[in-house]
Order: sequence, then C-alpha cells, then structure tokens
Amino acid sequence: MNFWLAVFRQAGRNLRQTWASQLMTFLTVSLSVLIFAFFYLVYTNTIGASDRLSEDIRLIVYLEEEPGTAMQEQLLRKINNFDKTEEIRFISKADAYKRFAEQLGDDSDVLADMPKDFLPASIEVIPLKGLRGFNQIKLFSEYLTQLPGSEKVQYGQEWMERFYYFTQLLTIVVLLSGTLLILTATFMVAYTIRLTIMGRHDELELLKLVGATNSYIRTPFLLEGILQGFMGSIIGLTALYALFRWISIHFSGPGLLNLFHFTFLQPIIVISIVFISIGLCTLGSFTSIQKFLKI
Amino acid sequence: METDNPIEALEVPENTMIEMIKVSRTYVPDITALSDISLTVDTGEMFFLIGRSGAGKTTLLKLICNMEVPSNGLIEVAGYNINNLKGKRLAHLRQKIGVAYQDFKLLDDRTVAENVAIAMEVSYKNPQAIRQTVRDLLEQLQLTDKHNTITGELSRGEQQRVALARAVANSPRLILVDEPTGNLDANTTERVMNLLNRRNKSGATIVIATHDPTIYQKGNHRILELRDGQIHSLTRSNGS
Repeated sequence: MNFWLAVFRQAGRNLRQTWASQLMTFLTVSLSVLIFAFFYLVYTNTIGASDRLSEDIRLIVYLEEEPGTAMQEQLLRKINNFDKTEEIRFISKADAYKRFAEQLGDDSDVLADMPKDFLPASIEVIPLKGLRGFNQIKLFSEYLTQLPGSEKVQYGQEWMERFYYFTQLLTIVVLLSGTLLILTATFMVAYTIRLTIMGRHDELELLKLVGATNSYIRTPFLLEGILQGFMGSIIGLTALYALFRWISIHFSGPGLLNLFHFTFLQPIIVISIVFISIGLCTLGSFTSIQKFLKI
Repeated sequence: METDNPIEALEVPENTMIEMIKVSRTYVPDITALSDISLTVDTGEMFFLIGRSGAGKTTLLKLICNMEVPSNGLIEVAGYNINNLKGKRLAHLRQKIGVAYQDFKLLDDRTVAENVAIAMEVSYKNPQAIRQTVRDLLEQLQLTDKHNTITGELSRGEQQRVALARAVANSPRLILVDEPTGNLDANTTERVMNLLNRRNKSGATIVIATHDPTIYQKGNHRILELRDGQIHSLTRSNGS
C-alpha cells in the first residue's frame, strides 16, 4: 500500500466517523462563502453601476450674462486650466429656450407668453473619463463656481453624494464581512478538526506508538480541510449563482434594478474564492493537528 | 554502532539489542518507579521480567519503546539512543518494535482484523499481504471466527490475543509483551507462547513481563526479577 492510498483510506474513515460535525463545518463554510460572495457581488455591481452613471456626468455652469465670443474663449481657457475636458459647450439663452421647448414637446405652448431669454445662458462641461471620482467632481465644481460670471453649478451633487457614501459603506461592509467570515470559517474548521482529534485521541496515540509518521497522521486531516474548503466554496458559490439567476430573471426589464445591469463574479474572482477557501480550511486543519503532534 | 537509519540498525544483526545503563524513572512528586537499572538484552534472546505488581516491569517496557522518557540514564536499542530520536526516525524505529500493552490499547469500535492490520498499514504494506497476515495470525491464536467482530465486544482474553497479534503482525525485530497470558487458559497460553517462540526462532528479540512462572520456567532463558524498582536478581531458567 502506498502512502496516498493509506491516507485516503484514513481520511475516508475520518469522514465516516465524524460525518455530523463535518456536515456542520461544511455548511458553515458554504454559508460564509455565500454571504461574503453575495456582498462582494452587490459591491462589484454597484461599482459597475456607478461607473456607468458617471459616464453621463456633466457639470452645468449657469452664467449671470451671456458671454461674448472673446469671453467664451477666456472661460474655455480657464476651464481647461483646471484639467482637460471631454467637451465644453456654450448654451445661449435662445438655445436654452429652444431645448426646453423641445423637452416640453406637446406642452411647449405653455411657453408662449414667456420671453425667449428668460432662461440663463450656461456652459455644459463634460469632464474627462479619468475625472470621475466624487471628490474630483466636487473640486471641479468648486473651481467652476469661482469662474467670473458664474452664478451656480449643478451636477446632481446630492444624488452623487448619497451614491458615493453608499458605495463607501458597501466597501466597509464587504471588508468587514469578508474578515469576519474568513475568521469564522477558519475557526470552525480548526474547531471541528480539534473535536475529531479529541474524539480519536486514543487511535492517534496508538498510530504514533505503532510507528505512523507525522505525515501519515497529519495528511488525512489536511485532506479533510481541503475537501471542506473546496466543497463549501463550490456549494456557496453555486447557491449565489442560483440567487443571481433568480434576481436576473425576476427583476429584468424596465425599473430601478435594471439600472444595475447585473453581472456575476468574474471567473478569476470565483477561482480565487475557491482557492482562498481551500487555503483557509487547510490552515485551520494544520494548526489543530500540529498542536496534537507536538504533544 | 550507530547508523543514520534506525531501521537499518535493526536489520543488521547486532549482538546487543537493548542496552540500559543506570536508568531511573521518577514520577512527580517523588515516586521512584525504577532506580539504577543496568541491563543488556542480546539480539535474538527471549528475556523475562518478573516481579510483583508495582515492581516496575511495565515502566521498564515503556522506557524501551520510548513511550516514556527516563529521568536518568541511557537506553539504546540496536545501538541507537532511543531518547534522541524524533519525527520520522522515531516512527521508523517503532515500526520495527512490536508492543503488546497490558491495557491492550485496542480500538474498541474497530473489528479485530482492522486492529491487527493497523500496525502493517503504517508501514504501507500491500493490502493483500496485510489480509493474509491477519488471517494467519488470527488462526494461530484461535481467533479466526472473530475476524469481523468489533473488538469492544470481545472477552479480555480475546482482546489480549488481538493485542499480541498486532504486536507481531509487522514482523518486528523486537517484541515487548506485558503480561501476555494473564487472562488466558492453559491451552491458549501454550498457543501464545508457541507464537512467541516461533518469532524468537526466526530472529526476533523478545522481552516478556509476566507473573506466570509456567511460561518463564520452560526453556533456557534469562530472568530479571525487579523489586521496588530495583534489580533483585538476574537468573537463568533451566526448565525443559
């Protein structure tokens, strides 16, 4: 009998004898992976949505007066002094009126009695794609407010601010849940293996007395850790994928959730979660069995 | 002679299998189990330890197989200081020492066959060879019908024989046996001793701790009597 056949037999025996506690650990690992991966999935989708929304960001600088050509060039220079932009458009009072009338469509007759210059002139600034962070937009907006003739700058700051803080909160939740769940899974596996070792103390002691090497005793427990990490992460991720499919099917179509364009985790992230789970569970096993072997 | 490999050391025919020099074992707080024991057991010898309960026989056997560490003194097995061995080297040496413990140390939830096989499994023996050896040993010890019986369901006499079968299963070069016939009738005692004698004739060194004069008075063996942890006498039996 070679080493691997012997340790696989031993691992199979361990699993048969301690199936109840193994099942509990397996469920804990699955649940930990499911919860963490769920938060991570929400996080990546929120970041994705944030990126898509930021593509539509434009800052509108309302002006006190309609600038002349020379003034327009000066303002253009000043704006580009802060940073390069994707596009800068000057909207005259007449253009603003025309655009508003088009937006009103059939109801544009409500403007019939209004003077054609009642809307202020403005500058539409579309920042570069690299300049999409909330703080950068805020700084840019503050700069634009200080431009001569600027009355007010609008870019949906309230909404952006809320969304920014939401993503910040989500980042903290993902990091905290990740850390806590990693600790939970590792300790659960270590605890189960420790219980197994305590329950089979006599047998392990005997194995040492009849000449079993430390590898012979240790390897079946490491295999258990690998199996728990692998199966736990696969089941957790499969459950998450099922949940993802259910949400995609039931919440597709027009609506708020459609804004998010749900996508599942990247294959590299899935593989990383499986490997990290295997690594942590194996580490839990290793620390427990090492304590026994040192006795 | 010391070699790097303890297994090789046991395979090489040495004149001395066990050497103990001024060995003592004291338990906390102040109980002396063995005091100043010096003895030599030759390779291929069948050696008997006798003495009343508490004389130190079991402690002596535990020291030889490194289950316990001496408080003082030197213990060499096959020229190897057994207390200096660790890890894989100690494991390999233990594979070549078969021990039948007084408390049997059987796995009560395993079958008789599994208990005997465990000593060979750790040496990665061929599964077919393991099955064959288990069958042969159980037959020699009249336990064939108990092959698949859970060990916890056996009588003490049967458990004792299973422990002995496990001790000799891996063809060890040194066999340590603690009270091998304590729970056995005369007929089974004879079978057990026949098995040990066969192993001894095939070259194994055997140390037996016993109360039973019927087994050490037969043959021509050295007998060490312990009293209160000290050597009281070292004699030679001259029975037939």
